Amino acid sequence: MPELHRRNFLKLAGASAGATAAAGCSDHVEKLIPYVVQPEEITPGNPVIYASTCTECSVGCGLHVKTREGRPIKLEGNPQHPINAGRLCARAQASIERSFSPDRFHGPMQRDPASGALRPIGWDEALSQVAEALGRNPARAHLLGGDPGDSASRLLDRFAEATGLGGRTIYQPFSSEVLLAASERVFGVRSEPLFNIEAADLVLDFGAEMLDTGPSPVEHQRQWAAARDIAAKPGGGARLVYAGARLSLTASSSDEWLPIRPGSEGMLALALARVAIESGAGGALGLGLLNGPLAAAGVPAAAKSCGIPAADITRLGRALAQAGAAVALPPGAAVTSRRAIDANAAVLLLNQVIGAIGTRVQIPVPERSARSRASFQSLLELVQSMQEGRVDLLLVHDSNPAYSLPKALGFESALSRVGMLVCFASAANETTALADLVLPTPAPLEAWGDVRPRPGLRGLVQPTLRPLHNTRHLGDALLGIGRALGEQAQAQLPGGDFLAWLKQQWSGADWRAALQRGGIYESPRPAALRFDGSNIAAIEPDLTGSGNLTLLAFPHSLLGDGSGAALPLLQEIPDPITAVAWESWAEISLSTAERLGVELGDVLRVTTSAGSVELAAFPRGGIRDDVIAIPTGQGHSQGHFASKAGQGLAGTPRGVNVVDLLPPLVDHGSGGFAWLIENAEVARTGRHRRLPLAQWSDNKRGRQLGEAVTLGALAAGAKADGADGHGDHGAKANGHGGHGDGHGAVHEIREPYNPADDAADAQYRDTFHERGEAVAKESPYRWGMTVDLDRCTGCSACIAACYVENNIPRVGEDESRLVRQMAWLRIDRWVGEGEATLETGRVHPARSRERLGQVDIRNSPMMCQQCGAAPCEPVCPVIATYHNEEGLNAMVYNRCIGTRYCANNCPYKVRRFNYFDHQLTKWPEPMELALNPDVTVRGQGVMEKCTFCVQRIQSARQNAAARGENIADGEVQTACQQTCPANAIHFGNLRDENSEVSQQADSPRGYHALHVLNTRPAVTYLAKVRRGEVKS
Amino acid sequence: MPAMSLAGAMRPADPPGADSQVNRDLLRVMEGISPGYLLLLAATVLSVVAAGGVWIWQVYLGLGVGGYAHPIFWGVYIVTFVFWVGIAHAGTLISAILYLFRAKWRNAINRSAEAMTVFAVLTAAQFLGIHVGRIWKSYFILPYPNQRGLWVNFRSPLEWDTFAISTYATISIVFFFIGLLPDIAIARDRARGLRKLLYTALALGWQGTARQWKSHSRAVLHLSGLATPLVLSVHSVVSWDFAMSIVPGWHATIFAPYFVAGAIFSGFAMVLTVMIPVRRIYGLEAYITDYHFENMTRFLLLTSWIVGYAYGFEYFVAWYSGVEAEQTAFWLRAFGPYWFSTWTMVFCNVIAPQLFWFKRLRTHVPTIFVVSTLINIGMWFERYVIIITSLGREYDPAVWGIYTPTWAELTIFAGSFGFFAMLFLLFMKLFPVIAISEVKELVIHERAHSGEAH
Repeated sequence: MPELHRRNFLKLAGASAGATAAAGCSDHVEKLIPYVVQPEEITPGNPVIYASTCTECSVGCGLHVKTREGRPIKLEGNPQHPINAGRLCARAQASIERSFSPDRFHGPMQRDPASGALRPIGWDEALSQVAEALGRNPARAHLLGGDPGDSASRLLDRFAEATGLGGRTIYQPFSSEVLLAASERVFGVRSEPLFNIEAADLVLDFGAEMLDTGPSPVEHQRQWAAARDIAAKPGGGARLVYAGARLSLTASSSDEWLPIRPGSEGMLALALARVAIESGAGGALGLGLLNGPLAAAGVPAAAKSCGIPAADITRLGRALAQAGAAVALPPGAAVTSRRAIDANAAVLLLNQVIGAIGTRVQIPVPERSARSRASFQSLLELVQSMQEGRVDLLLVHDSNPAYSLPKALGFESALSRVGMLVCFASAANETTALADLVLPTPAPLEAWGDVRPRPGLRGLVQPTLRPLHNTRHLGDALLGIGRALGEQAQAQLPGGDFLAWLKQQWSGADWRAALQRGGIYESPRPAALRFDGSNIAAIEPDLTGSGNLTLLAFPHSLLGDGSGAALPLLQEIPDPITAVAWESWAEISLSTAERLGVELGDVLRVTTSAGSVELAAFPRGGIRDDVIAIPTGQGHSQGHFASKAGQGLAGTPRGVNVVDLLPPLVDHGSGGFAWLIENAEVARTGRHRRLPLAQWSDNKRGRQLGEAVTLGALAAGAKADGADGHGDHGAKANGHGGHGDGHGAVHEIREPYNPADDAADAQYRDTFHERGEAVAKESPYRWGMTVDLDRCTGCSACIAACYVENNIPRVGEDESRLVRQMAWLRIDRWVGEGEATLETGRVHPARSRERLGQVDIRNSPMMCQQCGAAPCEPVCPVIATYHNEEGLNAMVYNRCIGTRYCANNCPYKVRRFNYFDHQLTKWPEPMELALNPDVTVRGQGVMEKCTFCVQRIQSARQNAAARGENIADGEVQTACQQTCPANAIHFGNLRDENSEVSQQADSPRGYHALHVLNTRPAVTYLAKVRRGEVKS
Repeated sequence: MPAMSLAGAMRPADPPGADSQVNRDLLRVMEGISPGYLLLLAATVLSVVAAGGVWIWQVYLGLGVGGYAHPIFWGVYIVTFVFWVGIAHAGTLISAILYLFRAKWRNAINRSAEAMTVFAVLTAAQFLGIHVGRIWKSYFILPYPNQRGLWVNFRSPLEWDTFAISTYATISIVFFFIGLLPDIAIARDRARGLRKLLYTALALGWQGTARQWKSHSRAVLHLSGLATPLVLSVHSVVSWDFAMSIVPGWHATIFAPYFVAGAIFSGFAMVLTVMIPVRRIYGLEAYITDYHFENMTRFLLLTSWIVGYAYGFEYFVAWYSGVEAEQTAFWLRAFGPYWFSTWTMVFCNVIAPQLFWFKRLRTHVPTIFVVSTLINIGMWFERYVIIITSLGREYDPAVWGIYTPTWAELTIFAGSFGFFAMLFLLFMKLFPVIAISEVKELVIHERAHSGEAH
């Protein structure tokens, strides 16, 4: 052996160190590869934003897709879009997950006849198989689906025509069939009315759920908030009256709630119209109506049928007559009975009487769209012919009939008589589980497309992500089938691909400009109306079934018709009303619960003539005694998140599908599916289920959490010095007497921002600063936020935006049961001021404090308050959380050792702990692709929380620094603020007294949450204004 | 010169007499290993292995294997930590404070109490590591110059805790060892083989010379002085983990004395719970007598009243403060979902010890055993009540919660008893459970006095 020299030693040492390092590497080595040819528009590290359109529902909101290095990371609203004006709902925010869903097909799949499982197949072979089946007898082939988008729908028609297809059926679970038919009956135009809330001063919602699942929720939330802007309208602005059986999200934001029996909306509308006419509304037309259709509509009869006092109807009717600009919204899906057309027509008549038609309600010249052609009646006919064996080939696209159709309709058994089922779908669902052939389509973010949500409005959908899987657009697949069919069909089909067809459809427009703006936004042209009130009469619907509770199957705020169930984010965000996540529940009244002897979480068996399901009870005060309400959307048996497959229980449904309880019956006048049809029998099973519940109590016990102030107190406080500013808010509980400075109603629970505090903060901060080094220079910023509770509806869009922006993990059902959700932003929902009751012995969350017919709901979004004197900071032994010079309560994840003391000491309970390594172990591939590269992914064992989207502040700082300026007001928008449809959140620099947030924080309604603890939060809440019930 | 005669007495070839009787009695405990002992040892080792396995599993998967539910971020681990820190109090109290007060009755129990202190501190310290989310980064809590440029937050009670516990552990171990020295020497002189080697090393050349005895008693005296404030400081600091927060139910100035009294209470109870079976099995009735029991139970009665007063005072302050959140938290403590823990605590810690008002019961060994065991249970529940119920009912009622420990937490909790018992069992076979030299000193002392009297 040679002697070991110094150089040899160094070589050996180096080699062994290298070997050790190499051995320590994980198997999966990811490399940073620079662009060989740098795309012109991409600067690594800078986002590129594309305009597009949301396709989650039929509203068609404009999107700005924020991409980083070719990957969409966040969806935001397109500020130029007339519908959403830059805002988005929770469903749109979450829809980014659709592209990265583990349920997606990686390529075409064919069912193996031997094993019954799907196995991969090539595109050419798949298309030629369809072409062969289609070519045998095109007349015995049928297309079934929802709305694939405007141009795609036209291509479908062309395809059907070219191939001589047996037919095309368009079906949507929540369609506008009834309203279209009603509009035709009343105005002679089959067109969907557009409602403008902003111009109204009194809004009646007959169960349209305008702020939640209604015709255009983002638009209506914005308009509703603007119409009630207390700063601009000292009188309180528009009043909202909600008529419906349960205290829904819209009802929670209303000023008055009429808890009417479901199905009695028409009677109420006609009675109101009658009173309004008698009080002077409607003019000559009205007087004519009194002798015509309204002759039979008496207030006492309506009151009896609605189950509310007659005096309320009279009062409201008068108020409608006196209001300058009233508007009524027609019943929504949940109350679509077999007499729904009458109710819809009655509400349109009411609008005519109160002069809303043509102003607040616009009925545009209709355009032919897939949505307007949706028909449940024709679906019934299709199933009929399937059962009779007259369909050999069924092509299903953009829908999931095996899930969304009532079991009693027998779609599945009818399918067994269909020769071949071909599904065009992006991800696995109940229908693809039955398909013989699956032709995967790209996710919305990967594909071209367009929508025509309302006349005059055309939105473009452009791809922002290279397709992750071997997929083809529905249009391209059909064109491929056409080509495989032979020359004759091919000749009648357009040449080129779907993009060429799309451009051809847009040939009249400036394509580039439309692409940049996201579409063409023109105002609809009003249609010529021919009012005909003769055929309007509201009759109480007769319900089938023998039970004594009316089954109200209402659209889930987040999951919608069930298409949202596949997205873990929508499953994880608690329902805004009940705070239940990942599960189905049945809402019953407290007295019904008492009668049945059940408590929260006790499992009920709900039986109707069509079927039976078992689900947990949710007793609440805000529902009629004669109603049981179950949300739609759950009960999927397929999908990683939609079913319990992700929890290792493949095939086990998550929750129940309420549609299984409904018979396939329709509205008599329009053929629309009747959701309100059954009386249910309810029995307890004796079993109990711990619901994943995000909120313990709606009783704020008079603490300074969701404050409210009456209009009177607000006005009194603002008017004069020394006025009694106490109002009926919770100031009493904090032991502060009146200061006598009379500076506004909630002044004594507010501590306005004081620059002197910053000095104290700096001193406080210095004690943390490493080894006594002083902070070099004073910062020009003190970041602050305001949240206007008067605008917050609780819709939870902010929560969804926060999750996506900040890479917040979704923890799943089991963890949610332990309330281990990681949400940095939650919404506390309080009922009234609450009282400091002394409850005993309850292991379950507290009893609902809602009362029938009473509305005093305060939604209080709760995020890190970035306290000036933060209780979390001094207790951290390792300075993982500290106060930075801009007033942020910063988190250093890498320092955190997970003692969790900070979270114990946080009075707002906004800190979240990573009990597991959620992101890396629980997110199936390729969900991690949606992560925001600007935000650290937190690992197991560290604490995390909101830091006012500090990455956005940093990015704005860089841009400002490049300009040589300070960050301008409005330059930083937090994710929650950006998406809030009601514009309830403001963010900015409190040091700048001209900034919008400073102005907002100066409001006499301003208060700090749990002010008595002297935490000096940077978040100022503006108390909700209680406007009281509508006076005539 | 008693020291001279003692030194003489410790030589192996000593003629039979009182001293060697003491030696024989007390060293007999260390001899022979019965099947029962082995079975017990195996059980404790098994529970430690099980807990260790669960712990590794927890480190691998995450703390979610526990029952933590928002907003209850601290659970059984912290409860058990505080419990063991409390147990650790009796040893130093008996050895140091009672030494300084010349309470001679301590001699029979001080050795085992000191051993318990050391073992309890070691057990408790582990729970700090078990509790944290990232054990692999937990050294961040130590202030030492490092290239990461990190420092610690000296304002955090958890940082104080780190120092309090490590200081206490160091002093307890030194104190224990110094007291053990003469006895190790006795054992050395009698042992053979490996044991001989071990004791020779540990005895540090103890010969029992007058000079050594002089230094020894000096050392004990000074260490007693040093340890005395520690008895008060450790649990005061642990109490500040809670009292320095703003959590309703934690934020109270009474916490330091309340916790110290509770710690002494539980520590004495644990000494009794452990020593009663040892006394019985090894026939040490001559050394641990009614006299000792009576003094110990009187102490229990006193501290029981102190903690009882503290319980009552907490409620009084909650009521008197007028703070609704505080009042609600305390009301729910007694009548809310955790009523069982609260009333268990009150029964075990306040009601059961009242039996010791009766002289007969103060010396009735079965009663003492039952009551001291109840006190141990009660004191664990006291910490459970303070930690869990307070966290579950804080300022925002929307995020109140309920916590139920999981089997993983309970396995580790059980493992802590296994660990403690395992160390004690090994200790019994390695070192004299009663301080031979001190007992002898007492015997000689008494003999001398009785001689004088007649």
